[in-house]
Amino acid sequence: MAEETFLSDEFVRELGAVGEVDILVGIPTYNNRLTVERVVQAVQIGLVKYFPRERTVVINPDAGSRDGTPEIVKSASVQDFRSVLAANPLRTTHTLTTRVHPTRGEGGALRLILAAADLLRAKACTVISPESASITPEWIEAILRPIYRERYDFLAPVYQRHKFDALLVKNILSPLIHSTYGANLEEPAGTEFGFSGALACDLLAQDVWREDFMRYGWGVWMTTAALAGSYRSCQSFLGPKVHSGKQAEQNLAGAIQQVVGALFYSLEAHQNFWMSRTEPVALPLFGFKSELDLGPVRVNRKRLFEMFRTGVEELSTILSQILSAPVLQQIREVALGQENTCHFSDELWAKTIYEFAVSYHRAVMNRDHLLQALTPIYRGRVCSYLLENHGARVAELHKRLEVLHQQFERLKLDFIQNWSAKT
Amino acid sequence: MGNLVVKTLSATSQNLGDMVTEFLPRLLAMLVIVAIGGVVAWILKIVVRRVLTLVKFNQLIETTGFTQLAARAALPTPSELLSRLIFWVVWVSFMLFGLNALGVAALEEEIGRFFLLLPQIFVAIIILVVGALAANFFGRSALLGAVNANYPSPRLLSSLVRFLIIALAIMMALERIGLGHGVVLIAFGAVMLALALAFGLGGRDAARRLLEKTLFEDRKEDGGDDDTISHL
Amino acid sequence: MLEAAVGAQHAVSFKRTTMAQDTFLRGADPLWYKDAILYEVHVRTFKDSNADGIGDFRGLVEKLDYVADLGVNTLWLLPFYPSPLKDDGYDISDYTNVHPSYGTMDDFKLFLDESHRRGMRVLTELVLNHTSDQHPWFQEARKSPDNPWRDWYVWSDTPERYQEARIIFTDTEQSNWAWDPVSKSYYWHRFFSHQPDLNYDNPAVREEIWKVMKFWLDAGVDAFRLDAVPYLVEREGTNCENLPETHEVLRTLRRRLDESYPGRFFLAEANQWPSDVRAYFGQGDECHVAFHFPLMPRMFMAVRLEDRKPVIEILEKTPQIPENCQWATFLRNHDELTLEMVTDEERDYLYDEYARDKTMRLNVGIRRRLAPLMDDDRRRVELMNGLLLSLPGSPVLYYGDEIGMGDNVYLGDRKGVRTPMQWTGGWNAGFSNADPEMLCLPLISNPIYGFQAVNVESQKRSAHSLLSWMKQILRVRKSTRVFSRGTLEFLTPTNHRVLAYLRELGEERVLVVNNLSSSAQAVELDLSRFRGRIPIEMFGGNLFPRINDRLYLLTLGPYQFYWFKLRRF
Repeated sequence: MAEETFLSDEFVRELGAVGEVDILVGIPTYNNRLTVERVVQAVQIGLVKYFPRERTVVINPDAGSRDGTPEIVKSASVQDFRSVLAANPLRTTHTLTTRVHPTRGEGGALRLILAAADLLRAKACTVISPESASITPEWIEAILRPIYRERYDFLAPVYQRHKFDALLVKNILSPLIHSTYGANLEEPAGTEFGFSGALACDLLAQDVWREDFMRYGWGVWMTTAALAGSYRSCQSFLGPKVHSGKQAEQNLAGAIQQVVGALFYSLEAHQNFWMSRTEPVALPLFGFKSELDLGPVRVNRKRLFEMFRTGVEELSTILSQILSAPVLQQIREVALGQENTCHFSDELWAKTIYEFAVSYHRAVMNRDHLLQALTPIYRGRVCSYLLENHGARVAELHKRLEVLHQQFERLKLDFIQNWSAKT
Repeated sequence: MGNLVVKTLSATSQNLGDMVTEFLPRLLAMLVIVAIGGVVAWILKIVVRRVLTLVKFNQLIETTGFTQLAARAALPTPSELLSRLIFWVVWVSFMLFGLNALGVAALEEEIGRFFLLLPQIFVAIIILVVGALAANFFGRSALLGAVNANYPSPRLLSSLVRFLIIALAIMMALERIGLGHGVVLIAFGAVMLALALAFGLGGRDAARRLLEKTLFEDRKEDGGDDDTISHL
Repeated sequence: MLEAAVGAQHAVSFKRTTMAQDTFLRGADPLWYKDAILYEVHVRTFKDSNADGIGDFRGLVEKLDYVADLGVNTLWLLPFYPSPLKDDGYDISDYTNVHPSYGTMDDFKLFLDESHRRGMRVLTELVLNHTSDQHPWFQEARKSPDNPWRDWYVWSDTPERYQEARIIFTDTEQSNWAWDPVSKSYYWHRFFSHQPDLNYDNPAVREEIWKVMKFWLDAGVDAFRLDAVPYLVEREGTNCENLPETHEVLRTLRRRLDESYPGRFFLAEANQWPSDVRAYFGQGDECHVAFHFPLMPRMFMAVRLEDRKPVIEILEKTPQIPENCQWATFLRNHDELTLEMVTDEERDYLYDEYARDKTMRLNVGIRRRLAPLMDDDRRRVELMNGLLLSLPGSPVLYYGDEIGMGDNVYLGDRKGVRTPMQWTGGWNAGFSNADPEMLCLPLISNPIYGFQAVNVESQKRSAHSLLSWMKQILRVRKSTRVFSRGTLEFLTPTNHRVLAYLRELGEERVLVVNNLSSSAQAVELDLSRFRGRIPIEMFGGNLFPRINDRLYLLTLGPYQFYWFKLRRF
């Protein structure tokens, strides 16, 4: 029986024509008509401006767009570089578009990019989101220079964001990754990453391509895989992150299922690494990070609290299977309080997350259900976080987050014990 | 007259004696079969239990949620259950064989029919078990989905889903044993199941949007269209 | 004695000529220069016959058989006129004589006859922009502002005039004006300060130049290379290059040439962008041939980048030229590899790749020979020659590059690429019988490029030497007129490391495929419009699979190239 192939003949032929490259940029698309042209042009200009002598290629795996996105990518070439730069590209530039079949699994687009990087022996690669409307050509330099010129293997982005953005990352992903993997990453679930060819080959060999969380949680998976493989990692400041207009995929439960699911999965896969790790992982930060107190955001805190309370109530049977009795009791007490005095302590939160992780590991129930059950509790935590940091400046928030990370670190030994205990 | 009575008595007792003599070995045979069956079933139970422990059967079953179900019903662990089930099935079969050996015609027919029905009973039991598991799973999905999407009365929804699936399972089981109405029931059950799945899987766009449009127009998405923060 | 020896050699070695060469010789074709294959040679460093350490015409005559055997049909001589030799002969002090070191006028005439007899034409230099400051004209002109020759040069009281004109020899000159202490004024010089520019606004100058031309044409010279032709005329407020007045001067010269000497040609040396060089062809009424300067560095760039983009870009930007005109293409010459006609990024790239050692750089260029530039990689040298001989234009081969001679960047100015020809591995490389210390320039003698390793004699004995290969490729080139006169059309297969193009002339079609990369490549060409034709590889004569509707797959080894004749059967 013939082996399954996930690269079409046509694409392989195009890869052969491109030949060996130094730099590979992957832009996975699905119905991104409004923003993709600008992204592609920024990438092209960035490559010509900062890597004029390197052999480069842009790979665009498309998951079946119906709004003409692949055509836009193919035709979005900067005609006159001289109007933008004082340079003309020395080399032929290549942009390859190919169709990724959804039946090939959720991670199809990323897998294709990694395969291309392997076949073309790319030295430095990056994945850029086609929704990054705030991208500039400088992002290309910021992401690729540490990989290409300074021999880092993995680069995570750092964005300029509103202080109340990315709460899921700040409250769950960052502290948990910090305490387990030892690296204090600001954006483990970013939409842009840089990685070396060696790391790409390693990632390609892992068998995660049919997992559900690979749809939007691949960033977390990639981050943890790089850390677990002890790859030389760093962070780089890119610029402001603008919310995409697409809310359709952004339902919170789904998001948690994806990214937290990816993280818990990784914890299982890498337990030998993080359970025995003692040294922190150094993560140099490149670039000049700008901190602006961007304007206020609108949040319906009352609604958040209500959903928290209802959630805890309605899901109590499920939660009692996941959490220990004392923790669940404490959460109940918070939920029964008033909305404007809601206080979900760091300690309680850390315990909650750790217990969820352990329950996930023991598969006390279907794992998707387990992750969905986390959602209302997270809402409660957000409510409490917003309340407490209402007037805080960015610097104060940093300190608070440090405290949170320390809390996670403090409870880590218990967590490891629980994790390893036999039922 | 006395002679006739004696003769009849002796003839009857002779018949009885003949019947008993005929019957006794059969009875003995039956008892022996039953005894052997018991031993065999017991040995089989031990073996199966050993094998299942080796194969870590319990762990495998845990993920389907059966263990929780069983625990709640105060049943022993899956491997224990299975080994006991095998014990009883084997022994009962031997008992029935033994009865067969008795040679009682009427019984034979019933026994024969029973053996024919046995596979169907098995299937019916399996359907019920699967149904219970599915009801549990999808009921829980519905509950979580409704809670996270801020629908009203999530527990009601969850119970509804559970009920529908169990009802369908029962109907299917009964039909197996020959007490249902076949195709129509299946079709009805399938439709019910589909609806239940759509609700139960919660996050699936189509059903959700349909719900939103038809029933919950004033309910917003959990993130809220007027909320401008992004969690990721 | 010498004549007899030469005659005997001649009788023995006169080869059978091809059809093209016959036409070439008889001059029946007025456009013979389109089929010219030029060999640039310096009398001074080719062969010394009288053991004074300096090459001469008699020596050159001795070696004419070698040149003819190579397969070229036109000899281009660097200036051999009387000169103080501060710019290797481009500073001329007498236009109508021969420098005594090289021989006499009779020697030159002998050389001309012997060349013609072997079917080769001769192209000499006409350095019309400037003379040496030792020229009698200048010696007179500088005496005083009232001297009758004064107006033959360009004088000024201040160095402020013509501010916009750039300096060409940036490494040695700071200004285009030089102070003359004798007449206490400034004189104009676009090149070295000892080479004052002639004043072409003066009709007397123009007349004299024509007289000089007549002198040589009457002697039998077939063509002139017009040196530094963009700089003839100056005008205030311009960059003093390519001015309309300059073109008028050339047109007049051309007219007079056509009237009295049909069948001769002008080769313009104009280091400019293609659109500016185009002007030197006029409407077919100016120069017949011009060097394609911008193409040359881009060939070097394409091979280094392993990307065909630079070559295709510049040729697509090259304008059409009149029917009776031709480009002259070259890889290297006696000057530095000029990087004036490339962008700043391209120049930086070429410097970094080809001239990391700053000693190699001179005047916005690189003063190295072909073989060292190609890291002595035989395959790359072959590829570059393959490109040169298959792209449109009349190719120029620089003496010594056919055996892969090396260079010496530590000799001053551009002398490093003008070292004596290496004939044998023996005494003075067979160049001269003089004492080695007397040689006009030292021989290259390192173990890689030195005359012991690289010389004509040893390469003649091997069928696989570069010399033998050059002879072979020149034979193939001359077997058809498609290369010299055909059209050019680029194919663009997806593999950018492959440069493929079609040459077409009448019914003949030749497909050229070049692998610019150091690794093996596969390429699929769209040849569907030649469906049914059979490609015949021109070096071996072997048939390749017939062309059909599908993409034609070819595989090439590192730096390999194919020339296919597409024949219809």
